[in-house]
Amino acid sequence: MAKVLVVAEHRDGRLKKSTFELIGASSAAGNETHAVLLGDGVADLAKELGTYGAGKVHVAQGPALKFYTAEAYSKVVSDLAKSLGSEIVLASHTPTGRDFMPRVAAKLGVGLASDCTQLAFEGSSIKVRRPIYSGKATAEVEFVGAGPRLATVRPNALGAPKADASKAAEVINITPDVGTLKTKVLEVVKGQSARPDVTEASIVISGGRSLKSAENFKLLEDLADTVGAAVGASRAAVDAGFRPHRDQVGQTGKVVSPSLYMAFGISGAIQHLAGMRTSKTIVAINTDAEAPIFQLADYGVVGDLFALVPLIKEEFKKIKEH
Amino acid sequence: MTWQTPLFLLVAGAAFGYSGYRFSILVRLMKAHQGKVSPFEEIGARIATAIANVLGQKAVLKKNPIGIAHTMIFWGFLVITIGTLEQFVSTLYEPANFEFIGQTAYMGLMFLQDIFTAFVLFGVGYACYRRFIIRPEGVGKSRDANIVLAFTASLMVAIFLMNGFHILGRDPFYQNAMPFSHAIAKMLGALNFSESTNLALGTFFKWVHMFIVLGFAVYIPSSKHLHIVAAGPNTFLRTLPREKAMKPINFEDESVTQYGAAKVTDLGWKDALDYYSCTECGRCQDLCPAHNTQKPLTPKMLIIDLKENLYRNKQAVLNQKYDEVTPIIDENVTEDVIWACTSCRACEIACPVFIGHTDKIYDIRRNLVMMESKFPAEVQTVFKNMETNASPWAFAASDRANWAQDLSIKTMAEAEADKTNLDVLLWVGCAGSYDDRNKKVLRAFASILKKAGLKFAILGNEEQCTGDPARRIGNEYLYQTLAKTNIETLNRYNVKKIVTACPHCFNTIKNEYKDFGGNYEVFHHSQFIARLISEGKIKPSKSFDETVTFHDSCYLGRWNNVYEEPRAVIASLPSTRMVEMKSNHDQSMCCGAGGGRMWMEEKIGKRINIARVEQALETKAGVVASSCPFCMTMLTDGVKSKDMQDKVRVLDIAELIDQSTSR
Repeated sequence: MAKVLVVAEHRDGRLKKSTFELIGASSAAGNETHAVLLGDGVADLAKELGTYGAGKVHVAQGPALKFYTAEAYSKVVSDLAKSLGSEIVLASHTPTGRDFMPRVAAKLGVGLASDCTQLAFEGSSIKVRRPIYSGKATAEVEFVGAGPRLATVRPNALGAPKADASKAAEVINITPDVGTLKTKVLEVVKGQSARPDVTEASIVISGGRSLKSAENFKLLEDLADTVGAAVGASRAAVDAGFRPHRDQVGQTGKVVSPSLYMAFGISGAIQHLAGMRTSKTIVAINTDAEAPIFQLADYGVVGDLFALVPLIKEEFKKIKEH
Repeated sequence: MTWQTPLFLLVAGAAFGYSGYRFSILVRLMKAHQGKVSPFEEIGARIATAIANVLGQKAVLKKNPIGIAHTMIFWGFLVITIGTLEQFVSTLYEPANFEFIGQTAYMGLMFLQDIFTAFVLFGVGYACYRRFIIRPEGVGKSRDANIVLAFTASLMVAIFLMNGFHILGRDPFYQNAMPFSHAIAKMLGALNFSESTNLALGTFFKWVHMFIVLGFAVYIPSSKHLHIVAAGPNTFLRTLPREKAMKPINFEDESVTQYGAAKVTDLGWKDALDYYSCTECGRCQDLCPAHNTQKPLTPKMLIIDLKENLYRNKQAVLNQKYDEVTPIIDENVTEDVIWACTSCRACEIACPVFIGHTDKIYDIRRNLVMMESKFPAEVQTVFKNMETNASPWAFAASDRANWAQDLSIKTMAEAEADKTNLDVLLWVGCAGSYDDRNKKVLRAFASILKKAGLKFAILGNEEQCTGDPARRIGNEYLYQTLAKTNIETLNRYNVKKIVTACPHCFNTIKNEYKDFGGNYEVFHHSQFIARLISEGKIKPSKSFDETVTFHDSCYLGRWNNVYEEPRAVIASLPSTRMVEMKSNHDQSMCCGAGGGRMWMEEKIGKRINIARVEQALETKAGVVASSCPFCMTMLTDGVKSKDMQDKVRVLDIAELIDQSTSR
């Protein structure tokens, strides 16, 4: 049993699923699980952390924490880890976690295992596994020396636990000392999409040029919204102007590895395969039975996506109702 | 000695003195460059190319009618300069004219000069018409060019007026040898000036002519007209063979602290001579796929910008204070300019003064990549894949030979074990190994080899990427790592003869492995198939009733001069009709994938592959034939985005032949 501190990540007033994974894994292993919430006006989120198994939630609020900055986060998290005597500090391997956790490690003078896909709690320490060589091998890493063990964990790697409404956390308000900050975030200018980013989502639904227009991508968006999936696109669809470049999956776009990847009307050019071939389950829908994507797919349907998408959506809805 | 002698001494002395000083600065700037310049061998061939292209104006005449106009002006100036020399000498000392060559010869000289003066005026007239009325995009607007045209035209007018008044004033004065001047004299006669006035006006226009010549001498060093001095030597020093390799970097040399070119002075003195030679004619950018699709790169502006960068840093360069020289990458030569190049080499082929654009871009890329770590984000993945998987795409090295699993093709290791005498090694390449579309091409080519009864093998999982993408992008270190491993493998199997369906692999193994100890006889599959057909080892027999247009791959055509073999292969198909796109052979347009662009996003302007596919569609051909895996990808994508995939097929020449031949 160890004293674990999980750094909660949230955006737009909602906690990220990856945070629940960390809390769930820690508390399931019987650890004394603390969570820390940083922000301004985020106290309401503390309760939800409790339902996933956090024993204590430290809420650090202040105007300086209104927007995420690596400087402030690393100061507050390292201070708290020291004062609590945390033995393990966990964060998600998201752009945010990747940004501030190395700084926490430096401030504490300890090691950090990044991009972990498995955690094994052993007494006051952990052993982790992390993929190397583009996922062709897995390294098992253990920590040496004293001090808290730091790890960032790949989203979707641990699997989210079910919330238990009967559980509640003790909420402790702390007054964070962010020190003198060298930078100040004035404003965050958003992209347009409310859906999860393709690299973070556990389900990615992608479309190709066969969708024929930007408007037709609405079909895939509706389908994605029924299961909380992200919408990706092939290079051809992006080039045709149907989707923004940030949604592009492939060699020159995002490399994704979700639990489920659904490719609608994507023939599977090498450029696209290079960006999604490590997905756990791949489903391909294409009118051309010769399309290379079927070589890679676990499940394939030769058919018209415009006929199939509504049917799949109905099935998704049924599953969700259960 | 008259009053003319001291006046001329004074004026000419000042003009030539100042001009000489300006030229000496240009030479010092050139010599202050720090980049290495390879030695210039094959003097005989160099003299031959200089004669053909300077005196013969061969490269200039590739584009007409402006080439003819230039030739007229060029030859005019050679002939007229004899007269100008005589003018100078006889002004210094009157009896020292050229009449000593004999009456007939002198009359001949006068005749030639008169005719060529008219030619030059005509040439300049056309040049003005072109520059101000036709206004080709590549020529652009240029005050410098306007000044040069004004200089040239007024020189010729001054000569005609000088001769005209001389004829009137000195009658008889060789008027029968000078038909144009004689006609002008007749017109001037209408002015009814006295003999002495005519003589004085003749002398006046001689002085006008001499002043313009001297003014020109002073003006030239800062003008694009500098090419009249630099282009000759630059032609002599040109890169001779079409097949050229990129310069290797010696990573063993620990005294080298910087790779590539960060500043103009990091390039070599030959690069400076390139800028001096540039006439800003714009032929390079007329054919540039980047420029023609609204990318910020134009080869012409790159050369001008580098020259201006050098001039801007004149003081620092002359004093060899290299720390103070400002970087190449600035508001003119942006990183986007440098990454836009597809290394298709259309600019170099078009350049009439043999400027090497690609090597400069490569050197600048090397600096961005190896010193600054600045490159398009998506390239990071390419480097990583090449480092870990020896392929630009993220596929496992252990899957490399999977495409051939059911084809019973031997690997080199197997062939060596059972002592098979091989005819050739088939170099598959990454696209042929991993890209499903190109796997089909390799299967077709392997099938052709089998039908021809050839014994061949592949390296299998021992093959690695040749390193070409890394090298073209600027990661020379990664290139050499892969190249050396491949050469070691090839040499271990004592490979002599290689055939590949990828022009990039072809170019690299054939031209660039030599520098690292890899010497092989290398064929592109188009050459190989053409030979198998001509030797009768395979015979396309099944009718292929289609109109086919062939897309030239840059690394096959412009880099290696292979244009006819793939066309011969297509022509061998029964009942096939061939049509050419409007850009073909060495004027062909790149598909957009060369120079590492295959792995970069194309975010600026129109997509190059779309522009090329539009040219292909204009031919109404039902099949676009390709001979390169990258072209195949780009053309196929282009046809799809034009929604023409149901009407137009993109096929490799190997696929065309395979379906038309039987065992």
